[in-house]
Amino acid sequence: MGLREDILSHPVSELDLREVLILSPEDTVQSAVRLMRLKRLGCVMVVDEKGIPLGKFTEHRLLVLLVEDSQALLRPLKDVMVTEWASVKLDDPIAKVLDAMQNHGMRFVIVVDDDGKAIHLTGQRGLMEYIADHFPRQVKVHMIDDAKLYMDQREGA
Amino acid sequence: MRRKRRKTTEASFSDPLSDYSPPEFDDDLEEALCDNDMTVMALTPMVTVNVETTVNKTMQILAEHGVACALVIDDEQKLHGVFTERDVLDKVAEQYHMVKDLPVRVVMTHEPMCVYAMDMPAKALNMMATGNFRHVPVLDFDDKLIGVLGPRRVTGFLSKYTQ
Repeated sequence: MGLREDILSHPVSELDLREVLILSPEDTVQSAVRLMRLKRLGCVMVVDEKGIPLGKFTEHRLLVLLVEDSQALLRPLKDVMVTEWASVKLDDPIAKVLDAMQNHGMRFVIVVDDDGKAIHLTGQRGLMEYIADHFPRQVKVHMIDDAKLYMDQREGA
Repeated sequence: MRRKRRKTTEASFSDPLSDYSPPEFDDDLEEALCDNDMTVMALTPMVTVNVETTVNKTMQILAEHGVACALVIDDEQKLHGVFTERDVLDKVAEQYHMVKDLPVRVVMTHEPMCVYAMDMPAKALNMMATGNFRHVPVLDFDDKLIGVLGPRRVTGFLSKYTQ
Protein backbone atom coordinates (compact mmCIF):
# COMPACT_ATOMS: atom_id res chain seq x y z
CA MET A 1 0.00 0.00 0.00
CA GLY A 2 1.13 3.54 -0.66
CA LEU A 3 1.11 6.54 1.60
CA ARG A 4 -2.36 7.68 0.55
CA GLU A 5 -3.93 4.30 1.30
CA ASP A 6 -2.08 4.19 4.61
CA ILE A 7 -3.40 7.62 5.62
CA LEU A 8 -6.93 6.60 4.66
CA SER A 9 -6.88 3.21 6.38
CA HIS A 10 -4.40 3.26 9.28
CA PRO A 11 -5.82 4.23 12.68
CA VAL A 12 -4.79 7.24 14.73
CA SER A 13 -3.12 4.84 17.19
CA GLU A 14 -0.38 4.33 14.55
CA LEU A 15 0.76 7.92 15.03
CA ASP A 16 3.37 8.96 17.58
CA LEU A 17 0.89 10.31 20.12
CA ARG A 18 1.89 12.92 22.68
CA GLU A 19 0.96 13.26 26.30
CA VAL A 20 -1.97 15.63 26.69
CA LEU A 21 -1.16 18.51 29.02
CA ILE A 22 -4.02 19.22 31.36
CA LEU A 23 -4.86 22.23 33.52
CA SER A 24 -7.99 23.42 35.28
CA PRO A 25 -9.98 26.52 34.30
CA GLU A 26 -8.73 28.34 37.41
CA ASP A 27 -5.05 27.94 36.50
CA THR A 28 -3.32 31.00 35.07
CA VAL A 29 -1.80 31.65 31.67
CA GLN A 30 1.58 31.69 33.40
CA SER A 31 1.14 28.12 34.65
CA ALA A 32 0.19 27.08 31.11
CA VAL A 33 3.32 28.78 29.73
CA ARG A 34 5.53 26.98 32.25
CA LEU A 35 3.94 23.60 31.58
CA MET A 36 4.19 23.99 27.79
CA ARG A 37 7.86 25.00 28.07
CA LEU A 38 8.64 22.13 30.40
CA LYS A 39 6.99 19.55 28.15
CA ARG A 40 8.03 21.18 24.84
CA LEU A 41 4.44 21.22 23.59
CA GLY A 42 2.43 24.07 22.15
CA CYS A 43 -1.00 23.21 23.53
CA VAL A 44 -2.62 22.72 26.93
CA MET A 45 -6.12 21.32 27.39
CA VAL A 46 -8.37 22.89 29.98
CA VAL A 47 -10.57 20.18 31.48
CA ASP A 48 -13.22 19.82 34.16
CA GLU A 49 -12.84 17.59 37.21
CA LYS A 50 -13.89 14.53 35.15
CA GLY A 51 -11.23 15.13 32.51
CA ILE A 52 -13.73 16.35 29.91
CA PRO A 53 -12.23 19.12 27.73
CA LEU A 54 -13.63 22.62 28.22
CA GLY A 55 -11.18 24.43 26.00
CA LYS A 56 -7.58 24.67 24.87
CA PHE A 57 -4.77 27.15 25.24
CA THR A 58 -2.13 27.29 22.52
CA GLU A 59 1.04 29.16 21.62
CA HIS A 60 -0.94 31.13 19.06
CA ARG A 61 -3.46 32.23 21.69
CA LEU A 62 -0.55 33.29 23.90
CA LEU A 63 0.90 35.45 21.13
CA VAL A 64 -2.41 37.21 20.47
CA LEU A 65 -3.05 37.70 24.20
CA LEU A 66 0.35 39.29 24.84
CA VAL A 67 -0.18 41.70 21.95
CA GLU A 68 -3.55 42.74 23.42
CA ASP A 69 -2.63 42.73 27.10
CA SER A 70 0.89 42.77 28.54
CA GLN A 71 -0.47 41.48 31.88
CA ALA A 72 -2.08 38.46 30.24
CA LEU A 73 0.04 35.95 32.16
CA LEU A 74 -1.92 36.67 35.32
CA ARG A 75 -5.34 35.88 33.81
CA PRO A 76 -7.13 32.58 34.51
CA LEU A 77 -7.37 30.14 31.61
CA LYS A 78 -11.17 30.09 31.78
CA ASP A 79 -11.20 33.72 30.56
CA VAL A 80 -8.81 33.27 27.65
CA MET A 81 -9.03 29.66 26.49
CA VAL A 82 -10.26 28.79 23.01
CA THR A 83 -13.50 26.82 23.21
CA GLU A 84 -13.24 25.19 19.79
CA TRP A 85 -11.07 22.16 19.22
CA ALA A 86 -10.96 19.10 17.03
CA SER A 87 -10.99 15.59 18.46
CA VAL A 88 -10.52 12.08 17.10
CA LYS A 89 -10.61 8.59 18.59
CA LEU A 90 -7.79 6.06 18.56
CA ASP A 91 -9.49 3.89 15.94
CA ASP A 92 -10.37 6.75 13.57
CA PRO A 93 -8.34 6.83 10.33
CA ILE A 94 -5.33 9.14 10.20
CA ALA A 95 -7.13 10.99 7.41
CA LYS A 96 -9.49 12.36 10.06
CA VAL A 97 -6.56 14.10 11.77
CA LEU A 98 -5.58 15.59 8.43
CA ASP A 99 -9.18 16.72 7.81
CA ALA A 100 -9.43 18.32 11.24
CA MET A 101 -6.19 20.23 10.73
CA GLN A 102 -7.08 21.32 7.21
CA ASN A 103 -10.77 22.19 7.66
CA HIS A 104 -10.50 23.82 11.08
CA GLY A 105 -7.06 25.37 10.61
CA MET A 106 -5.81 23.68 13.78
CA ARG A 107 -2.33 22.39 14.49
CA PHE A 108 -3.36 20.22 17.42
CA VAL A 109 -5.98 17.50 17.51
CA ILE A 110 -7.12 15.93 20.77
CA VAL A 111 -7.46 12.15 21.01
CA VAL A 112 -10.40 11.25 23.24
CA ASP A 113 -11.68 7.94 24.62
CA ASP A 114 -15.26 6.67 24.35
CA ASP A 115 -16.27 8.84 27.33
CA GLY A 116 -14.95 11.99 25.67
CA LYS A 117 -11.97 12.20 28.04
CA ALA A 118 -8.76 13.66 26.57
CA ILE A 119 -6.11 10.92 26.51
CA HIS A 120 -3.51 12.03 23.94
CA LEU A 121 -2.50 14.90 21.71
CA THR A 122 -1.59 14.66 18.06
CA GLY A 123 -1.39 16.94 15.06
CA GLN A 124 1.23 18.37 12.78
CA ARG A 125 4.24 16.77 14.46
CA GLY A 126 2.77 13.27 14.61
CA LEU A 127 1.62 13.52 11.01
CA MET A 128 5.04 14.69 9.79
CA GLU A 129 6.75 11.83 11.60
CA TYR A 130 4.31 9.34 10.11
CA ILE A 131 4.97 10.65 6.59
CA ALA A 132 8.73 10.85 7.15
CA ASP A 133 8.72 7.16 8.08
CA HIS A 134 7.60 6.45 4.50
CA PHE A 135 10.61 8.25 3.04
CA PRO A 136 13.62 7.19 5.10
CA ARG A 137 16.02 7.96 2.24
CA GLN A 138 14.92 11.56 1.78
CA VAL A 139 16.81 12.89 4.77
CA LYS A 140 18.26 16.28 4.01
CA VAL A 141 21.93 16.40 4.87
CA HIS A 142 23.27 19.86 5.64
CA MET A 143 26.92 20.86 5.59
CA ILE A 144 27.81 22.91 8.60
CA ASP A 145 29.69 26.08 7.68
CA ASP A 146 33.46 25.61 7.71
CA ALA A 147 33.04 21.89 8.33
CA LYS A 148 35.99 19.83 7.14
CA LEU A 149 35.46 16.84 4.94
CA TYR A 150 38.53 15.14 6.39
CA MET A 151 40.40 15.23 9.66
CA ASP A 152 43.85 16.79 10.13
CA GLN A 153 45.14 13.73 11.92
CA ARG A 154 44.20 10.11 12.09
CA GLU A 155 41.71 9.39 14.78
CA GLY A 156 42.79 7.04 17.57
CA ALA A 157 46.17 5.53 18.21
CA MET B 1 2.54 6.11 23.02
CA ARG B 2 5.64 5.46 20.94
CA ARG B 3 5.22 3.64 17.69
CA LYS B 4 7.89 1.15 16.76
CA ARG B 5 10.10 2.39 13.95
CA ARG B 6 10.62 0.20 10.94
CA LYS B 7 13.91 -1.63 11.12
CA THR B 8 16.16 -2.05 8.10
CA THR B 9 17.06 -5.69 8.05
CA GLU B 10 20.06 -7.08 6.26
CA ALA B 11 17.79 -8.81 3.78
CA SER B 12 15.87 -5.59 2.93
CA PHE B 13 19.01 -3.43 2.46
CA SER B 14 20.39 -2.91 -1.01
CA ASP B 15 23.15 -0.61 -2.15
CA PRO B 16 21.37 2.34 -3.84
CA LEU B 17 24.35 2.86 -6.16
CA SER B 18 23.83 -0.57 -7.65
CA ASP B 19 20.31 0.24 -8.84
CA TYR B 20 19.90 2.67 -11.76
CA SER B 21 16.27 1.94 -12.54
CA PRO B 22 13.82 4.85 -12.15
CA PRO B 23 12.07 4.93 -8.78
CA GLU B 24 8.68 3.30 -8.51
CA PHE B 25 5.96 4.81 -6.37
CA ASP B 26 3.05 3.05 -4.73
CA ASP B 27 0.61 5.90 -5.39
CA ASP B 28 0.29 9.43 -6.76
CA LEU B 29 0.84 11.04 -3.34
CA GLU B 30 4.23 9.38 -2.92
CA GLU B 31 5.08 10.38 -6.48
CA ALA B 32 4.03 13.98 -5.82
CA LEU B 33 6.24 14.15 -2.75
CA CYS B 34 9.29 12.46 -4.26
CA ASP B 35 9.20 13.28 -7.97
CA ASN B 36 8.63 17.05 -7.84
CA ASP B 37 10.47 20.04 -6.53
CA MET B 38 9.31 22.38 -3.78
CA THR B 39 7.50 24.68 -6.19
CA VAL B 40 4.51 22.29 -6.34
CA MET B 41 3.71 23.32 -2.77
CA ALA B 42 2.29 26.69 -1.73
CA LEU B 43 5.26 28.70 -0.43
CA THR B 44 3.83 32.20 -0.38
CA PRO B 45 2.65 34.57 0.96
CA MET B 46 5.33 34.92 3.61
CA VAL B 47 5.74 37.43 6.39
CA THR B 48 9.17 39.08 6.58
CA VAL B 49 10.53 41.55 9.12
CA ASN B 50 13.83 43.35 9.31
CA VAL B 51 16.35 42.18 11.92
CA GLU B 52 15.97 45.55 13.69
CA THR B 53 12.17 45.36 14.04
CA THR B 54 11.18 45.24 17.70
CA VAL B 55 9.88 42.05 19.27
CA ASN B 56 6.57 43.74 20.06
CA LYS B 57 6.08 44.98 16.50
CA THR B 58 6.94 41.54 15.11
CA MET B 59 4.37 39.93 17.40
CA GLN B 60 1.77 42.45 16.25
CA ILE B 61 2.53 41.60 12.63
CA LEU B 62 2.17 37.86 13.33
CA ALA B 63 -1.14 38.42 15.13
CA GLU B 64 -2.49 40.69 12.37
CA HIS B 65 -1.62 38.19 9.65
CA GLY B 66 -2.73 35.19 11.70
CA VAL B 67 0.52 33.37 11.03
CA ALA B 68 2.96 31.58 13.30
CA CYS B 69 6.28 32.48 11.72
CA ALA B 70 8.07 35.63 10.53
CA LEU B 71 11.18 35.35 8.40
CA VAL B 72 13.82 37.75 9.68
CA ILE B 73 15.87 39.39 6.92
CA ASP B 74 18.43 42.18 6.61
CA ASP B 75 18.41 45.21 4.30
CA GLU B 76 19.75 43.05 1.48
CA GLN B 77 16.89 40.56 1.88
CA LYS B 78 19.25 37.90 3.27
CA LEU B 79 17.62 35.49 5.69
CA HIS B 80 19.09 35.64 9.20
CA GLY B 81 16.53 33.74 11.24
CA VAL B 82 12.91 32.98 11.99
CA PHE B 83 10.72 34.24 14.78
CA THR B 84 7.90 31.87 15.67
CA GLU B 85 5.22 31.27 18.26
CA ARG B 86 7.66 28.88 19.94
CA ASP B 87 10.13 31.76 20.39
CA VAL B 88 7.32 33.75 22.03
CA LEU B 89 6.67 30.86 24.43
CA ASP B 90 10.32 30.14 25.21
CA LYS B 91 12.04 33.52 25.12
CA VAL B 92 9.41 36.26 25.37
CA ALA B 93 6.31 35.37 27.40
CA GLU B 94 7.79 35.26 30.90
CA GLN B 95 9.97 38.33 30.35
CA TYR B 96 7.75 40.28 28.00
CA HIS B 97 8.41 43.69 29.59
CA MET B 98 12.18 43.19 29.35
CA VAL B 99 12.34 42.03 25.72
CA LYS B 100 9.39 43.66 23.95
CA ASP B 101 11.39 46.69 22.81
CA LEU B 102 14.51 44.77 21.80
CA PRO B 103 15.26 44.00 18.14
CA VAL B 104 13.81 40.68 17.04
CA ARG B 105 17.31 39.41 16.16
CA VAL B 106 17.95 39.03 19.91
CA VAL B 107 15.25 36.41 20.42
CA MET B 108 14.80 34.90 16.96
CA THR B 109 15.98 31.41 16.07
CA HIS B 110 19.25 31.99 14.24
CA GLU B 111 20.27 30.32 10.99
CA PRO B 112 17.24 28.09 10.47
CA MET B 113 17.51 24.92 8.42
CA CYS B 114 16.34 25.65 4.87
CA VAL B 115 15.52 23.71 1.75
CA TYR B 116 16.16 24.72 -1.83
CA ALA B 117 13.45 25.15 -4.44
CA MET B 118 14.86 22.18 -6.36
CA ASP B 119 14.63 19.85 -3.35
CA MET B 120 11.77 17.39 -3.26
CA PRO B 121 8.89 18.00 -0.83
CA ALA B 122 9.62 14.69 0.93
CA LYS B 123 12.94 16.15 2.05
CA ALA B 124 11.27 19.18 3.60
CA LEU B 125 8.72 16.96 5.38
CA ASN B 126 11.50 14.72 6.64
CA MET B 127 13.37 17.76 7.91
CA MET B 128 10.27 18.96 9.74
CA ALA B 129 9.87 15.55 11.37
CA THR B 130 13.46 14.81 12.29
CA GLY B 131 14.40 18.35 13.29
CA ASN B 132 11.03 19.08 14.87
CA PHE B 133 10.66 22.28 12.83
CA ARG B 134 7.28 23.66 11.92
CA HIS B 135 8.48 26.18 9.36
CA VAL B 136 11.13 25.62 6.75
CA PRO B 137 12.29 28.59 4.63
CA VAL B 138 12.75 27.86 0.94
CA LEU B 139 15.66 29.38 -1.00
CA ASP B 140 16.42 29.58 -4.69
CA PHE B 141 19.72 28.64 -6.32
CA ASP B 142 21.23 32.02 -5.31
CA ASP B 143 20.22 31.60 -1.67
CA LYS B 144 17.45 34.15 -2.17
CA LEU B 145 14.38 33.63 -0.02
CA ILE B 146 11.37 32.60 -2.12
CA GLY B 147 8.92 31.29 0.48
CA VAL B 148 8.26 29.23 3.53
CA LEU B 149 6.69 25.84 4.09
CA GLY B 150 4.53 25.51 7.19
CA PRO B 151 2.08 22.98 8.65
CA ARG B 152 -1.03 24.46 7.00
CA ARG B 153 0.56 24.30 3.57
CA VAL B 154 1.64 20.72 4.12
CA THR B 155 -1.84 19.61 5.23
CA GLY B 156 -3.36 21.53 2.31
CA PHE B 157 -1.10 19.66 -0.11
CA LEU B 158 -1.77 16.25 1.48
CA SER B 159 -5.53 16.86 1.57
CA LYS B 160 -5.65 17.23 -2.20
CA TYR B 161 -4.59 13.59 -2.47
CA THR B 162 -6.65 12.09 0.35
CA GLN B 163 -10.10 13.60 -0.33
